[in-house]
Amino acid sequence: MAEGLVLISHQFSKPIKVLKWKVREGSVISIGCVMLLFDYDGSTEAEQRKLKSTQAGTVHRLIAQEGAIVKRGDVLFELSPCIHPTVINDMCAECGADLRKDDLTTTASIPMVHSIPELKVNEELAQKLGKADGERLLRDRKLVLLVDLDQTIIHTTNDNIPPNIRDVYHFQLYGPGSPWYHTRLRPGTHTFLNNVSSMYELHICTFGARNYAHTITMLIDRDQRALFPCGDNMVCIIDDREDVWSHASNLIHVKPYHFFQHTGDINAPPGLDKHENDDKEGVDLMKNNKNEEEKSKENGKLEDKNELTEEMKQVPDDSGSKNTNEKKDEKVKKTAEKKVENTIVEDNVKKIEDEFLDVEDPDDYLLYLEDILKKIHAEFYKEYDKLESGQVPDLKQVIPNVRAHVLSGCNLVFSGLVPTHIKLMNSKAYQVARSLGANVTQDLQEDTTHLVAVRPGTAKVNAGRRRKNIKIVTPDWLWTCAERWEHVSEIIYPLNRRGSKNRHPPPHCSSPEHVPNYPVHDSPAIRKRTPSGRFMDTINPLMSFSSDDIADMDKEVEDMLDDDSESDDEAKRKHTLRQEIEITHKIEEENSSSSGESLTGEYPRGFKRSRSSHKKDGAIDTEDVESSLDEFPSTKFRRGEKLDSDLDIGDSNSEGSIDPPDEIEDGEWNMMGAALEREFLSNS
Amino acid sequence: MFYHISLEHEILLHPQYFGPQLLEKVKTKLYTEVEGTCTGKYGFVIAVTTIDNIGAGLILPGQGFVVYPVKYKAIVFRPFKGEVLDAVVRQVNKVGMFAEIGPLSCFISHHSIPAEMEFCPNVNPQCYKTKDEDVVIHAEGEIRLKIVGTRVDATGIFAIGTLMDDYLGLISN
Repeated sequence: MAEGLVLISHQFSKPIKVLKWKVREGSVISIGCVMLLFDYDGSTEAEQRKLKSTQAGTVHRLIAQEGAIVKRGDVLFELSPCIHPTVINDMCAECGADLRKDDLTTTASIPMVHSIPELKVNEELAQKLGKADGERLLRDRKLVLLVDLDQTIIHTTNDNIPPNIRDVYHFQLYGPGSPWYHTRLRPGTHTFLNNVSSMYELHICTFGARNYAHTITMLIDRDQRALFPCGDNMVCIIDDREDVWSHASNLIHVKPYHFFQHTGDINAPPGLDKHENDDKEGVDLMKNNKNEEEKSKENGKLEDKNELTEEMKQVPDDSGSKNTNEKKDEKVKKTAEKKVENTIVEDNVKKIEDEFLDVEDPDDYLLYLEDILKKIHAEFYKEYDKLESGQVPDLKQVIPNVRAHVLSGCNLVFSGLVPTHIKLMNSKAYQVARSLGANVTQDLQEDTTHLVAVRPGTAKVNAGRRRKNIKIVTPDWLWTCAERWEHVSEIIYPLNRRGSKNRHPPPHCSSPEHVPNYPVHDSPAIRKRTPSGRFMDTINPLMSFSSDDIADMDKEVEDMLDDDSESDDEAKRKHTLRQEIEITHKIEEENSSSSGESLTGEYPRGFKRSRSSHKKDGAIDTEDVESSLDEFPSTKFRRGEKLDSDLDIGDSNSEGSIDPPDEIEDGEWNMMGAALEREFLSNS
Repeated sequence: MFYHISLEHEILLHPQYFGPQLLEKVKTKLYTEVEGTCTGKYGFVIAVTTIDNIGAGLILPGQGFVVYPVKYKAIVFRPFKGEVLDAVVRQVNKVGMFAEIGPLSCFISHHSIPAEMEFCPNVNPQCYKTKDEDVVIHAEGEIRLKIVGTRVDATGIFAIGTLMDDYLGLISN
């Protein structure tokens, strides 16, 4: 007999006759559970009585047989006592035992219900419940959707904002006196959640505090349910950042929702930049105030409103954080700079009779997200129906597959999108296109359908224009496709004279890590990826230098350092370098100079965005090199050289500045660049 | 179980209340300070019925506050193990259900809910119900339960209940 078993014996004075067992071996019983039916032996009345359990636990073995007569003291059954599988407030929920008082231990450690963390169950039970959940989901043809809060379906700020903006909720988390939070729901959140909840079971997941999540949940009025410890093959995640999920393939990277300007993700995980999306987009409400003031001054009315906004400005920040105040100063400065945007905002602001600011919010991403989720859901259950054996398809495969259908059948060619020193297959654009299922080739082919070009006038664009069946689009087309997971009409993104500045995918549609394998169209693309004409791809240029060459280079550098005081243009003109040197500089450029020079000059608008995307990917390994170069004259020189050799002088700025440091995947080149760097430094 | 018992409480009064309304103030202060509280020994103080005696006030040296020992009678609610009570279901989930007996919250594990009742998460509101939908227990429903354990803290009482006994479960009107 196993240890800890309890023998339950018959306690009545009269012998009883066991009529029927109401429990089976292995069944869990609690106090008051009916164990068996009996009557007193020899009693004339044919009355059945119930024997109830006085202990909780699991029935180990039934000893008394049905029909047997049991005398007082005889064993009825063996009971293994309660292992306290469900525990709340340190109390067993099955037997009511106080787990603090006695030396009782429990294995219950898994909180099963989001809203009640003190209710815990043990692993076995959690598995059981999780499995039941999974089965139920399949039965209801639902999937699980983990919904991130901040910047996905809401945007919260703790800056001071006017109290009368429509659809903004205000709350304090920690009672009176604590900072106010202002939350704006993404447009269409309620419809989105309603529609999606028919296909998905929604779970909130946030890095914020629990009561923050609860408050928001109350705002969006969704009941939370329990989590599933049974694998993640039915879980789909929507989040505005990939890094926290370590780029899981069942993640749909959504476009961050940005409503309040100057506030990033207020619940960013520790160690990650909170304000990374700062002042990028969103509505600056302080500006709105200003506009209101101006307007009211013009009109000579609405004075009370005016006072209100004045007040808002003067009230010191609740949290007393200097940061926010400083930010506000910045904000004021930026107001002047961003006049263009300002006017847009002005147009958006409308005055409503009932004193509510109705800020127009152009964000409609949830509509697309809903479509994406619908597609995934349909695909998942299509797969599930195919697998008859009750196997469950894995969303981690289904989701990339759905994505891979978006542009399947398209044959893309990039022009000016991938910097020449980066292999096509290593570029972000390539990976985005591949993850969408498109085929990408280096040069125009017979079957090329789309030419994604940054600017007009390149050889490929000219060649493409001659062919009727090729659609020439800007990279924005590709980014939009990636954002919405649909084949967007090409007509909206024609290549015009200005070209496009968005060479780099916005952070939310760059998911290169999980490009699935496409056995169908993979093989030809790879072969074409090594163009014969490209010297740099095939031969390591530094290896081909003789010692003389290197000595020459050193001399060149020394000369250049002497020219320190000279202007860029002079330096540029003075040094006509040989082919090898040019290559060297190109190598260096990819490593460092690009971002270095962008610090000096004005950069295109896309820069900020792409830069933040680099941060996001955590690939800032070249940053220290970059800073050491900052004051180094060779940077300037290199830029001069670049200008000289590049035909597109007008565009060279963007060329240089948005060359992302993170796209250097070749560690080899990296090292060579660093070696060269050292050489330069030692010479200075 | 409810009891009508005599209790004592000390009221600390600020000197600003020293005046003709002093005793009234002591009384109102007693009501606010005592009603709705919970002690481990006597349970929840539901209502003060009579104030029997307000003792002589003692002025605290250095502060000016005065302490009045007050004797009063109150109705208290003290749950016991094995007690059968009527409760209102607050929340239903797959692990069990939460119910409230006035100020006392109580959890019933799904093991302590008769096996013929199944958890149905998809109907709104979520509920436990029998196959033939004879008995449906959902939030806001009234149930009769038996307490199998209590956790008595300095600040409150939490109970574990069961529906596994005769005449327990949904109270049908």
